[in-house]
Amino acid sequence: MRGYRTCDGVRRRDFLKVGVVGSLGLALPDYLRLTEAAESGGSGNRKRATSAIFIELAGGPSHLDTFDLKPNAPAEFRGSFKPIKTNVPGVEICEHLSKLAQVADKFCILRGVSHTLAAHQFGREYVLTGNRPLPSLEYPGLGSVLIKERPGTRDMPGFVAVPSTSQRPGFLGVRYAPFSTGATPRANAPFNVRGITLAGGLTVAEIERRKKLRTMLDRAFQGYEEEDQLLEGLDSFSERAHAIITSRKAREAFDISKENPAFAKRFGTTGFGLSCLLACRLIEAGTRCVTVSSNGWDTHQGNFKKLKESLLPTFDEGFSALLWGLEARGLLESTAVFVTGEFGRTPKINKRSPDGGRDHYPRCMFMLLAGGAVRGGQVVGESDDKATQPKHEGFSPDDVAATFYHNLGIDHTKEYHTETGRPIMIVRNGEVIRQVFG
Amino acid sequence: MRAVALWSVMILAVGPVGAGETVVPPVSQRFADGKTDEVPHFQKHVAPLFGRLGCNGRACHGSFQGRGGFRLTLFGYELDTDYEALLDPESPRIDLKDPAESLILVKPTDEEMHEGGKRYEVGSWEYHVLRKWIEAGAPHEKGKLVTLKQLVVEPPEIRFSAPDETVRLRVIAVWEDGTREEVTPLCRFQSNDDQMADVTAEGIVRCRGTGDTHVVVFYDKAVVPVPVMRPVSRYVGPLYPDVETPTKIDELVVARLKKLGIIPSPVTDDVTFLRRVSLDLTGTLPSPEEIRAFLNDSSPDKRAAKIEELLETPAYAAWWTTRLCDWTGNSEAQLINVVPGKSAAQDWYDWIYRRVERNVPYDEIVEGIVLGTSREEGESYRQYCEKMSQIYGSKSGMSFADRSTLPHFWARRNFRSPDDRVVGFAYSFLGVRIQCAQCHKHPFDQWSKDDFAQFRGFFQSVVYNARGSDPKEYRRLIESLGLDPNTRGGELRRELIKRQRKGEVVPFPEVYVATPKKARQRGKGKRARPGRNRTAKLLGAEVVDLSEYRDPRVVLMDWLRRPDNPYFAKAFVNRVWASYFGRGIVEPPDDLNLANPPSNGPLLDYLAKGFIEHGYDMKWLHRTILLSDTYQRDWRPNETNLHDQRHFSRAIPRRLEAEQVFDAVLAATANTARNRSMKQDLQGRAIAVPGPPRNARRDPLNYSLTVFGRSTRESNCDCDRSSDPNLLQVVYLQNDTAVLTRIRNGGWVAEVAGRPAPSQANAKAKAKAMQAAKRRAQNLQKRLTQVQKQLRAARRSPAKRKQAARLQRQVTEIRKALAKVEKQIRPKQSKTAAKSGLKWSLSRAIEDAYLRTLSRPPSREEAAIATEFIGESKTPAEGIEGLLWALINTKEFIVNH
Repeated sequence: MRGYRTCDGVRRRDFLKVGVVGSLGLALPDYLRLTEAAESGGSGNRKRATSAIFIELAGGPSHLDTFDLKPNAPAEFRGSFKPIKTNVPGVEICEHLSKLAQVADKFCILRGVSHTLAAHQFGREYVLTGNRPLPSLEYPGLGSVLIKERPGTRDMPGFVAVPSTSQRPGFLGVRYAPFSTGATPRANAPFNVRGITLAGGLTVAEIERRKKLRTMLDRAFQGYEEEDQLLEGLDSFSERAHAIITSRKAREAFDISKENPAFAKRFGTTGFGLSCLLACRLIEAGTRCVTVSSNGWDTHQGNFKKLKESLLPTFDEGFSALLWGLEARGLLESTAVFVTGEFGRTPKINKRSPDGGRDHYPRCMFMLLAGGAVRGGQVVGESDDKATQPKHEGFSPDDVAATFYHNLGIDHTKEYHTETGRPIMIVRNGEVIRQVFG
Repeated sequence: MRAVALWSVMILAVGPVGAGETVVPPVSQRFADGKTDEVPHFQKHVAPLFGRLGCNGRACHGSFQGRGGFRLTLFGYELDTDYEALLDPESPRIDLKDPAESLILVKPTDEEMHEGGKRYEVGSWEYHVLRKWIEAGAPHEKGKLVTLKQLVVEPPEIRFSAPDETVRLRVIAVWEDGTREEVTPLCRFQSNDDQMADVTAEGIVRCRGTGDTHVVVFYDKAVVPVPVMRPVSRYVGPLYPDVETPTKIDELVVARLKKLGIIPSPVTDDVTFLRRVSLDLTGTLPSPEEIRAFLNDSSPDKRAAKIEELLETPAYAAWWTTRLCDWTGNSEAQLINVVPGKSAAQDWYDWIYRRVERNVPYDEIVEGIVLGTSREEGESYRQYCEKMSQIYGSKSGMSFADRSTLPHFWARRNFRSPDDRVVGFAYSFLGVRIQCAQCHKHPFDQWSKDDFAQFRGFFQSVVYNARGSDPKEYRRLIESLGLDPNTRGGELRRELIKRQRKGEVVPFPEVYVATPKKARQRGKGKRARPGRNRTAKLLGAEVVDLSEYRDPRVVLMDWLRRPDNPYFAKAFVNRVWASYFGRGIVEPPDDLNLANPPSNGPLLDYLAKGFIEHGYDMKWLHRTILLSDTYQRDWRPNETNLHDQRHFSRAIPRRLEAEQVFDAVLAATANTARNRSMKQDLQGRAIAVPGPPRNARRDPLNYSLTVFGRSTRESNCDCDRSSDPNLLQVVYLQNDTAVLTRIRNGGWVAEVAGRPAPSQANAKAKAKAMQAAKRRAQNLQKRLTQVQKQLRAARRSPAKRKQAARLQRQVTEIRKALAKVEKQIRPKQSKTAAKSGLKWSLSRAIEDAYLRTLSRPPSREEAAIATEFIGESKTPAEGIEGLLWALINTKEFIVNH
């Protein structure tokens, strides 16, 4: 990959350097964005998101110790963390999220989201599909619906999971499945992605040559391709796969070492932070939907220690950098961001470990939304005094999903048909939460 | 006349509505002016009208939340519930005191705001029907249904000859008391294919295109499909050409084609047949040597002989075991801890494999599954545990396949609640999608919520218990292992696995039938359960008193085996047919319902009947289908069958199934020896994988199977498997490291290029051998020089003639040995290969590449293109690699045609 030139004769490495230091140079991000703009034919409604990033906090983060603190609750509920002020008057979050406190104007906190599924798998399915799981039917994840509705650019995979996701294509079928990287990017290490990275000394030129050969030999069905859905489908997917594999844009977007160091620095060196950086680059290059998953939030024991020492600082750094980065690249307006765990955690602290722990608690949880038409810097919804349930009506995962789709201009009441012909609405029981946008 | 049995216990008289019999005119006439004294009937008129007007649709009041505070049951048929909803004292929809103010009159006429808009006019017959009913006091006797004996549709069949022709359907209900009433305006109509014919709400069918479909009529509990067709071409009747029909299947298929004016494609050539039958029967591509032999075989019955040969291979057993595992739902994810420390999915696979290999009749295999219990007849819990410990212990030589039944089917996580069992069982063995009826009337079939609930009774007494059925013995076993009886969960499991590996007897989970007595005991105290049903009703058949049976599943099994069972044999032959043609005679293959009739009824009947008559012999079924011309037809269409997807007039190209793809790549890239052994040696093959693993894995095998849509085996639905193309598949074949590595290092490219196989041990051994050969060559050379010197000397003296002759012989021998050794040392090149730099000649390599991927020799033009490509490559070996890549990425490779 080293040493090949762009059309204007500038070496890629030089090009980057020019971008960073030169006053007129275009950084890779600009270059990628221009390509994207050209491909999508310009932007329409600027306040409507076209892409999405999910942050899946697997295990179920404690709401009481993050975004829904109850400093006035009894000690066995409130825990040891103190709230701090943010850059939005009146909005307070946990003291261990100090970087996010500085960008609180960019995201909206939903409190008092509530459901009843306290098992990881079911909870995840619920929040990531917007439909309460059924044994007889698997609903598609939000990302699968998104790429069905908004197929994305030709030479980038539409749906990428870093490193993997609980979202599945469900009844929409495997063609809407995410492209999983299988690995988390690490600092100063090459990041190989199955199917994208060119392996075994294969060059783009050789792939082109092979493709030419294949085209010449693949003539058995000549003349019938258009009459047969399967043959036509194989041809069109084949073209798209070739475009992605030979696309420099795709390979470079996956290669986070190509990022401007000044920009990358904000994301830190943790796997989560670098995954956020990767998400940002992929969205920039035209991927519709990226999921980043972060594990370890299942804090039955040692809740406070784990949160304070690793979970919160890592999340704080990575997610605040993501919001900052998206905005810096002008992508926040076009990217719907959704942060969620599968449930909240028990308000009352258990004493099974010296530090105390919290258990699964779906009745009350938080979620974060940002980007697109979401009005940042606000808290929507409210939980009761001890954060045991929504104070008023509360929101269901269905409502949040409907809201998320609304942000992307997708009508959540649209119907799909399952393989068995059963009509199913994208979100069957949700209502858009209007306050999020107003 | 067409009639449909509403409940199969009831035998319906089928006959035309005789001229002499009076038919009551439809409500639309009787109530047109509202002057009649007749009181409409709730079941016969009012409830169907709600259906016809769309009130109980899913988007309206049929929604489970209702609409505007009013809920009707979805698709109707729960008459009492609907009646109650209408008279709900909280928010009555009917005003008995002031009928005209009833909401069901003012809202749908839009006099008062109605979200659903105007459904009918004030003063229309619909209005009068509803109003007259309310005025009469809204009569309805709860719990009392009138039985619809028969629903007659006229005409029973429609044959169009030109577009836009119309036919008006007339529907007559025959009630139990013998009264006949025209109910056309109260029916719902639906076309199964709008492109061919559409139908209005009034029952007027209009021709749109050619081909055939059904218009389905719904009224009360009845579902009647009316065949509609218009020939595709002018080749009908006497104009239809002579088509040979050597088998009964062909006869039945062509009979249908003849009506439609569709001419079938001819029987395909030998190579195409071989590839197709090999993939379909064994999931495996034919080897190059097999293809050559088949092409050279001139015996007239070689296709039949090939089918017999393939039926005897391990690959046949493996591939059809895989399919049976799909239909029965074998999945590790659903069998967690069912066999601690071992794979229950592997047991399942092995159990079926053993039986397919021995060609055990299908009904016997199913019996072993349906009546599955962990213990053998007469075995105690302890004996069972001892046996299991032996089977899973090392080197016992025993296999789970030796057990007489397969209890794991009942131990699955998604098969433990009676509701899930009803749904799964109906999919697996009946090919019926009954799940709709779990919550509402089945929209396309006769099944009501009540049918579902009553069928559930058969599934309630089977229990899966991780601690077995005998708590005392369980405790004794735990104690004899010296374990703390309070150890639970994962900790206990790990300990038991450890002990079992040491050869100790540990307790095992168990599937068993709870006796009613036990069931009652279990119901005592706090955890009391609702009483078990004492009776249950077979789907579409009789009610059974379960108290007479220790294991109610026996009734189920007997019912499956009854010759008049409308589903069991049909579901299986239809699935097997679908595996061969890419679509079933009923499509989707697991959706046998009244509104979805077979595309060729006589064909399905013939196969199902033959299958039963031949004792459910699966090999009979395979043979019978594969030997037909219908199976062996070419994929190339003619002008009459280009668009035929339903009548089997040609082979429709199908994407290889997920397992076939992986194995085809394996075969195409493996060396000659491995390629040849594919059908015998199942090691590393996808068709030997028992099922999807518990967690998503990213190893090449599982990754490949996932992206190509192997059955997820989650719901027992055939739709768990997908053979649609998608982007990830193509990216995988074009650029996944696993595939690229296999192409380069799979064995074949190395073999062709004459480079040593890429294993390190192998390379070392070769290098060693090479050095030895070189040393030997040097020695021989030395010796040769010596002997030649002696020989020259001997020749100079006539006295040494004898000696010279001996030396001459020596020289010859040494030269021979030397030549042999030098051949070992020299880079391996054949005559033509000397030019190509390959061990094989270029033409042989290219031909072999074609045979192992596309299963046919290359055309002259293709060979020339490949030769040129290889010539332009950096090295010939790289060229060969590129060629193999290109062939694997053609449509011809990934498609079964």
